[in-house]
Amino acid sequence: MTNGQAEHPSAIRAVGLVKTYRGSTGEIEAVRGVDLEVRSGEVFGFLGPNGAGKSTTVRMLTTLMTITAGSAHVAGVDVAADPDGARHKIGVALQEAGLDPRQTGRELLTLQARLFGMSSSEAAARAEELLELVELTDAGDRRIKGYSGGMKRRLDLASALVHRPDVLFLDEPTTGLDPASRLTVWAEVRRINQLGTTVFLTTQYLEEADQLCDRIAIIDQGRIVREGTPSALKDDLARRRGDGTTPTLDDVFLDATGRTRVQVDGDVKEIQA
Amino acid sequence: MNHSLTLGLRAMRETLRTPDSLVPTLLIPLFFLVVNIGQAGRIFPSDDTDFLNGQNYAAFQLPSSLLLAASFGGAALYLVEEIEGGYFDKLRATPIPRMSIVLGRLYAEFVKSVGITALMIAISLALGVRIESGVAGFVLLVVMVSIWAMVFSGFMQLIALKTRSAAATQAGGLVFFPLLFLTPNFVPRNLLTRPMEVAATLNPVTYVMEACRSLILDGFDATALGKGAVVIAAAGALMLGLSVRLINRYD
Repeated sequence: MTNGQAEHPSAIRAVGLVKTYRGSTGEIEAVRGVDLEVRSGEVFGFLGPNGAGKSTTVRMLTTLMTITAGSAHVAGVDVAADPDGARHKIGVALQEAGLDPRQTGRELLTLQARLFGMSSSEAAARAEELLELVELTDAGDRRIKGYSGGMKRRLDLASALVHRPDVLFLDEPTTGLDPASRLTVWAEVRRINQLGTTVFLTTQYLEEADQLCDRIAIIDQGRIVREGTPSALKDDLARRRGDGTTPTLDDVFLDATGRTRVQVDGDVKEIQA
Repeated sequence: MNHSLTLGLRAMRETLRTPDSLVPTLLIPLFFLVVNIGQAGRIFPSDDTDFLNGQNYAAFQLPSSLLLAASFGGAALYLVEEIEGGYFDKLRATPIPRMSIVLGRLYAEFVKSVGITALMIAISLALGVRIESGVAGFVLLVVMVSIWAMVFSGFMQLIALKTRSAAATQAGGLVFFPLLFLTPNFVPRNLLTRPMEVAATLNPVTYVMEACRSLILDGFDATALGKGAVVIAAAGALMLGLSVRLINRYD
């Protein structure tokens, strides 16, 4: 999965990251002191239950949201002090592919390239190259409105890669996709990573994390509760359980987030610990 | 090319691809123009009504319809759609001045308004209206109305940025709507009842309307045009200042 780099300088480094909002019920602490270290060249999975602070953390790291306290560097750039510098280094594909349905795929990519400072001819060439990369060349001149969910995701991925970012943030890239489209996105993510891009991936699908990620972190209630390689986390749980069974990443997730799994009449139910 | 212009071209393309969105912007003001002429045209005959300067009542009504057409705020509705759909965040993640996102849409609104205003004036010429200030006055009239369309859309975009909701943006637009009617849109200010005259005098839109009307009925009236320009410039400066503040603090 990794490029096998000899050194692992930090692609992402967050220290004591905090985000508080003023909500109708008072101050809400969405992220409560997150420390993260993502190595250059790896695929890093960021997991957590709904509302755990995953997307808020991603939005802070990608300059889309202000940081209440703490600091974050992406590709060596302080995202709060130099947001434009950081934007040159990162690619962002957020939840529910944010695309302009009235443009064609090619127009969207060309526009994105122009906004990253490329000339018209450079932008056109880059758009062509990316359409090929995500296998959308034939659909490139069709309006995005008519794309399937999987095509939109792939186009969103391509648009995040326009400026050849060092770090790619993918926020739940396969949510809502059918299994075939999901596999296609996984293949794209692997390919992008093999080309040297660090990938920071949030997902609710533990199988996805297990398949794609070198290391993962699990966030719950705004705090990191586990961090390590999938196999190390599973081994750790197996050791703690000591019952000889082999835990899955689902078990690790449920254990880490304070939930447990019980069999009731053949159905799997999730309950609060 | 400047990022605002790049985004403006994109917004223009979007407008051309959704021609149905232009239909209400054109037809509703024309409907009001025709209905108002039909209802009040005989009350104000051209040869017996001083404030018409020998023209028919359509010439007096035209500025109201032009300003109504400039007050649909289409740019804000597209913007809020992008906020809800997530593309706005995609644009915010690019290394461009955030204000470019607002300005791009306003440039497109200007171009759109130039087309609609020119078309409405052309239709009114067929109804017997003359532009007293000539071709230069026609151009000034189109430019003035189109800049006002940008300003109005800018305020609507502020609502879109603040509320991030299409429903709230559409409802928010209604707050501005009475301003169009608390004006001397049927008769000159001196013929209004006292309370309406006070309201119209306090309403900045009045001066934009009177500036537009002066070009149609009187020629170049420096006082009327000056007041209209000051109102447009002040409202524009306020809109731009608030937009910069809001989009740079958008979280």
